[in-house]
Amino acid sequence: MSWTGMARTVIVCAILIVLHFTLRPLLAWRASVDFLIVALLLGAVRLRPGMGAVYGFALGLVAGSLDVGGFGAAALGMSLVGFGASWLKAVFFADNLALNGFFLFIAKWLFDLVFLLVGHRAHGAELAMQLFVWSPLSAAVTAVAGVIALSILRPLMEMRTA
Amino acid sequence: MVVLKDEDREPIASGLRRSLVAPLVSLQRGAERWRNAWVSSEQYQTTIDSLSLRGANAQAMRSENDQLRKLIGLGSRLAWGFVPAEALHSTAQSEELVTTITLTAGSTAGVRRYSPVVAPEGIVGMIQTADPSMSIAILYTHPDFHASAMSADGAGFGIIYPHNAGVASGDAYTLEMRGVPTKVTLKPGTAIYTAGLGGVFPRGITIGTVIQELKTSEVWTRTYLVRPAVTPSKITTVLILTAQRVTQGTGNVWGGAAVNADSATRRIAAAGDSIARQAAQLEAQARAAVLDSVRRATIDSVRRSLGAFVPPQTDTSRVAGRPPRDSLRPDSGRTKRP
Repeated sequence: MSWTGMARTVIVCAILIVLHFTLRPLLAWRASVDFLIVALLLGAVRLRPGMGAVYGFALGLVAGSLDVGGFGAAALGMSLVGFGASWLKAVFFADNLALNGFFLFIAKWLFDLVFLLVGHRAHGAELAMQLFVWSPLSAAVTAVAGVIALSILRPLMEMRTA
Repeated sequence: MVVLKDEDREPIASGLRRSLVAPLVSLQRGAERWRNAWVSSEQYQTTIDSLSLRGANAQAMRSENDQLRKLIGLGSRLAWGFVPAEALHSTAQSEELVTTITLTAGSTAGVRRYSPVVAPEGIVGMIQTADPSMSIAILYTHPDFHASAMSADGAGFGIIYPHNAGVASGDAYTLEMRGVPTKVTLKPGTAIYTAGLGGVFPRGITIGTVIQELKTSEVWTRTYLVRPAVTPSKITTVLILTAQRVTQGTGNVWGGAAVNADSATRRIAAAGDSIARQAAQLEAQARAAVLDSVRRATIDSVRRSLGAFVPPQTDTSRVAGRPPRDSLRPDSGRTKRP
């Protein structure tokens, strides 16, 4: 990746991270948009799997530090998602917004799965409710928001076709 | 990191929050403040709206409460011979002047045609049509309304009519007192009451106060402009006087000076009557006592003169629980006859 491309990616990821800490609290939806996942996927597909995992770990630390309890679960979840996204970059780079949206959905749901299970955030029916109702809803909202963000930021990203 | 204990994880998270993530924490805090402010503003707006609504309702309820309290006062002063009714105003926009109202009491409650309709402030109108469950009353603003009237001191009498010119001048709710003798002058502010002539309205119901004299072509009589005591638009509840009450009068319910004088006179006369009755009773009792004494003394003297035994007198006037008279007491100094 060229320096220019890296700089653009950093700018887009920074914008998404800022959106995560400004727009998301402002909206305060029950099924919230996770801009960090979008930023993670956008950055990880441009890195090697190991670096993608490190990038995910860093974002997970940022997200976990603002969460009460369960610090580390987000880091683990995002590391796995970053590693997976980097490993599946060929698929993810497909210039198809619907496919990108689908992978955003899967990434967010996988992250929530790891976060909830490893972080021991809920138990029993509450966990099931969170995993099979709120997490998919949040993943869907994140996928939609990610697709919109990709559409808007496409000129800046110069996304390569598959 | 996941396997670390909470005590070990928290310092790391805290360190991140204070250093690298501090700008993001600040951003999140600001966003949450904006969110709270937005939600609070909606709540404040809702609160302000509900308070405004409550204030408006409270004002209407206070007004209605005052009116009902006055009406209860009037009802307790009247005591009997009235039918309470709610006044339903016409919503027709074409009416420039409110001249009729619908009342929620009808002939089954004792309401008849020409029954007077009154409010705590004074006269309202009279019943024009009485259905079984409701009735229609014409107000004093109606062209068909007229009532005999008098001034508070009873010096001036006349007939009350609606003041038609008031509609054109913008002061729609005014009355005219026509036919007042020329020699009688009513000053502005003089209270006007019903005179009780004509059999429709009993004497002493407040009509209003004199505003000024109107210039007319009449030579022998004067006409006065009268401001009514009752505002038709504010009427919500009224009392309808029954025929029996009209016949027997309302007394000093509205506190008119003439009525005051009238009732005071009646009270003085009644008081004089009771004093006279008591005096007559006392006089009759005294006369009976004297006659009784004379009768007993005569009988005793006759018996003595004939040498007959005269038993000791018993006190006929002795009342249970009261000691006997001295002359008949056993410990008296006088000796009894054997």
